[in-house]
Amino acid sequence: MTDAVQTLVESLQLERLELNLFRGFTPDGMGPRIFGGQVISQSLLAAYETVEERVCHSLHCYFIRPGDPRVPIVFEVDRSRDGGSFTTRRVVAVQHGEQIFNLAASFMAPQEGFEHQSDMPVGPHWSELPDEAEMMAEFIKTAPEEMKKWMGRERPIEMRAQDARDYWRSGPKPPVSQNWFRCRTPIGDDAHMHQVILAYASDMNLLSTGMRPHGVHWQTPGFQSASLDHAMWFHKATDFNQWHLYAHDSPSASGGRGFIRGSIYAEDGTLVASVAQEGLMRMRAAK
Amino acid sequence: MDTQTLVETLQLERLEVNLFRGTTADEEARERIYGGQVIAQALLAAYETVEDRVCHSLHCYFIRPGDPAVPIVFDVDRSRDGGSFTTRRVIAVQRGKQIFNLAASFQVAEDGYEHQSEMPDAPRWEDVGDDTERQRVLLKDAPPEARAWLDRPQPIEMRTVGGRMDFTPRAREPVQQLWFRAKDSIGSDPHMHQVILAYASDMSLLGTSVQPHGVSWRTPGFQSASLDHAMWFHQATDFNEWHLYHQESPSASGGRGFNLGSIYRASDGALVASCAQEGLMRMRKPKVG
Repeated sequence: MTDAVQTLVESLQLERLELNLFRGFTPDGMGPRIFGGQVISQSLLAAYETVEERVCHSLHCYFIRPGDPRVPIVFEVDRSRDGGSFTTRRVVAVQHGEQIFNLAASFMAPQEGFEHQSDMPVGPHWSELPDEAEMMAEFIKTAPEEMKKWMGRERPIEMRAQDARDYWRSGPKPPVSQNWFRCRTPIGDDAHMHQVILAYASDMNLLSTGMRPHGVHWQTPGFQSASLDHAMWFHKATDFNQWHLYAHDSPSASGGRGFIRGSIYAEDGTLVASVAQEGLMRMRAAK
Repeated sequence: MDTQTLVETLQLERLEVNLFRGTTADEEARERIYGGQVIAQALLAAYETVEDRVCHSLHCYFIRPGDPAVPIVFDVDRSRDGGSFTTRRVIAVQRGKQIFNLAASFQVAEDGYEHQSEMPDAPRWEDVGDDTERQRVLLKDAPPEARAWLDRPQPIEMRTVGGRMDFTPRAREPVQQLWFRAKDSIGSDPHMHQVILAYASDMSLLGTSVQPHGVSWRTPGFQSASLDHAMWFHQATDFNEWHLYHQESPSASGGRGFNLGSIYRASDGALVASCAQEGLMRMRKPKVG
């Protein structure tokens, strides 16, 4: 494992405080607020600690307050139901006595049944696309000194964007995008861990697709963006050390919010997960 | 139950500041409570604790079947009252057990960036037959109870393009379009239009993922149920007007089907809401022995 993946996997080890109560930490140097994907993955793991043998097939989350990376996060699990076919859990993440996040999730024993899926969209293959480091290099050249190190850090998730070469070009673009991604180094064969790290990665770049028609990105001065919610449906187990295509489309922006849907395909075209997220996207009112 | 009766039966009794009680209309008493009713009541319970802000999203799980014979208690958690957003969580309880949960977010109205997907082509509602009328024709020889059920007043008018799958279960693409609206006047409270739209959004969505497989809820041994429901409200709308509910199912696997819905206003093509729902869809295992 590289250091970045090692750090991610370590942050996913929760301490059990009580039967339904867990504590997690944010690794050093992860920026001024906690990355949403981290809280999603930690909450999912907290829920898994209370579920036996069943696999998560869906989760729904709200980001309620910005997470503070300097203090631990406490995860409280509610065992909503242990049913014949399904297990339902709710998790509330707390810092400083306040809820920062909630997740509801459902778990089911794997079974066979009806099968269909949407086709993987056509687009450039990951092997034809530049690495994220190359895409960042352009931006890092002109970035402030303190930003350079942050932007240039090694990341646990390897990402190759379809339009990496003109990512920083301003001007309106269509509200669709494709990224290939995978976990950078092997994380073993624990299927839960692959699912949890896929959930972690699914919060990356999604909101950017909602911004594309408006010629802004998260570094545009005065522009404010934040994930509001996140929903994910896991259709199939997958090996996230292999490349996956993450296809986004944004059907709507209105009222200071953008809505984005995502589909995650394995390289053989299998649809393994679907995602939906709404995010805040607005220009700060002039002082 | 006509639209007016629906609006009345969704009204909740306030037991405490954050605690509400709702009931199911006698005439709707089936085996289990319709999911859209619990979504609508839970959203109303949340609204009772929110001032001047509008719901822009909700996420729900159906945890246990609801019993129409007993009241539902809705317990609201005031997760956050922030500068721009208000977050609420609602747990619906019957007989001491959680039957349903909802999380929702509310926002002060603001202007900003605008884009939307285009309304897909569809035959106009004038050219599509009413679902109930079609079922009456198909069920003309059915027992009187079945016909009486079809003849009861309904709060939502629905016209499914190509007719519903229920009575002609031949395999189709996992795409479904229907026109719908509240049948009679909801009144002028914009919250109630949103709540009734949420109520109606749980109808038929699950059917889309079933379409490629040539089965319906009428197929012997076929089991289906909504598992979750998520909805994003992009703008306010008048649900006494016709809306196009465009539905697609990107996936079925592992005994579950996944569906996406987009709701467009007929008059101007505005995308007013998006939906996502996963449902159980499986054949019951044959009994051994």
